[in-house]
Amino acid sequence: MRILLIDDDEDLRNLLSRYIRGQWSDAQIDAYDPLERDVPDETFPLGQYDVVVLDYMLGRGDGLQWLKILKQRPECPKILFLTGAGNEIIAVRAMKAGADDYQRKQELTREKLITSIRELTATQVERTVSPDLASRLEGHDLGAKIRIPGIKVLHLIGEGGTARVYLASREDDDEPLVVKILRQEIVLNKKALERFMEEYAMVERIQSRHVARIFGHGTSDNNVYLVMEFFEGGDLSKRLAGQPMPPRDALKFFRELMFALGDIHEKGILHRDLKPQNLMFRKDGTLAIVDFGIAKNIAAADRTGAGEVLGTPRYMSPEQVQGRALDLRTDIYSAGVLLFQMLTGEHLFDGQTAMEVAMHHLNTQPRLLPDHLEVYQRLLDKLVEKDREARFRNADEVIGFLSRKLEQAAGDAAPDRTQKLH
Amino acid sequence: MAGMTEEDCKVIVAKDLEDLIPVFMKNRHKELDALRVALAAADFEQLRQLGHRMKGVGNSYGFTHVSTLGKHIEDGARSGDKASLQAVISEYHDYLSKVQIAYE
Repeated sequence: MRILLIDDDEDLRNLLSRYIRGQWSDAQIDAYDPLERDVPDETFPLGQYDVVVLDYMLGRGDGLQWLKILKQRPECPKILFLTGAGNEIIAVRAMKAGADDYQRKQELTREKLITSIRELTATQVERTVSPDLASRLEGHDLGAKIRIPGIKVLHLIGEGGTARVYLASREDDDEPLVVKILRQEIVLNKKALERFMEEYAMVERIQSRHVARIFGHGTSDNNVYLVMEFFEGGDLSKRLAGQPMPPRDALKFFRELMFALGDIHEKGILHRDLKPQNLMFRKDGTLAIVDFGIAKNIAAADRTGAGEVLGTPRYMSPEQVQGRALDLRTDIYSAGVLLFQMLTGEHLFDGQTAMEVAMHHLNTQPRLLPDHLEVYQRLLDKLVEKDREARFRNADEVIGFLSRKLEQAAGDAAPDRTQKLH
Repeated sequence: MAGMTEEDCKVIVAKDLEDLIPVFMKNRHKELDALRVALAAADFEQLRQLGHRMKGVGNSYGFTHVSTLGKHIEDGARSGDKASLQAVISEYHDYLSKVQIAYE
């Protein structure tokens, strides 16, 4: 394998070389410093490389311009473009200019780099041997086939149990978007398809600053898709990274979550699957809830089969574990579990199996918060009451408690007075 | 230093990157000199570029605080805030003199 690294930073060139050699010890890696050399001209043997890793910020050059110049050459190899984190519009422009993959530079790990290069250089044999690789490459191919009016699907960025997730852009202004394409096996499942379409129908009805915006849905070549906003700030799971948040931040985000729940409950919708991966952050730091994949209209006929348990065990309410009829207090409980995690960096309940965790929600009293977080104990107790009759009845009650009781009691530790924005 | 904790000064680096760290640290000290020169000349574009580079390279090697300071420098350069830039550059100097590196 032969790789060309174009980056103005010596330390990054050294690091990327080390990562690549750690995986492919015989790789030939050529470093190209744009501070010392101009864009490779037609005499440069570009076609000898398998992959070019190209940075966006080149010191005295613009990586996007270099990308366009290199891609004009027919022998140009695959290009992995490095962008700044939180700058997805550059990623959109790079993919439109012909980049074959992109990575956020500040988040580029050894694993991400190797995975990307492996995908870019995969041979037919490797596609056959590795199911994971085959699935991802199939995902890339599918993204290239999808046609959505006014939208360009650019790049596979994630794979879930029900849908593949793509970075896309609005053709008018390059605004980054997300396109979710339902997996074919789900499309064939009438119940799952109904849930996916319901997700679109429900979320579009909600006009809230704290709920993901949906821009459209439809079918293309027998594939069902959903177009929604792109969140540059990532999700709560990434934000926490196993660590506690400062209480002020935790309460700010919790309050925004309550605004979101107030808005969806007002429309008669339960989320039923609140978890860190479903709380996303915008570039301005505001929080929004996503993925109503198992959300259910309170008034609708229950399509969940008898005894079928949906949701993520770590954040399930006791009544959800029992498979009982749910009301909006189930989301209040899950939000309480999330608050515990934001404040402490730990899960409310742990266990060896999903069932063990679920049973804790049913039978085990939560442990107390550490002393320095004692001021939040009453709030938490009333959120994660096992008896839902003793729990907060709705998000408005929680917000009222935050304003009236907690801020007075907490003094300096009072939560941020975020205002409802919609 | 108000913005820097003891934890910020403890860095864990992958064992197989150990031989890259002397060059990395040498470049950080050169960067500090370049930041001071740029600030003295009120060259905010240069300061922004240096901050951007710190932001990119710090996390990659496990030096999270380098990235944090880089972001502050980038932001300060964009707003032309010399006092804030002076404080961040002083903190960077302090950080480089205190940072402890463990290899695992």
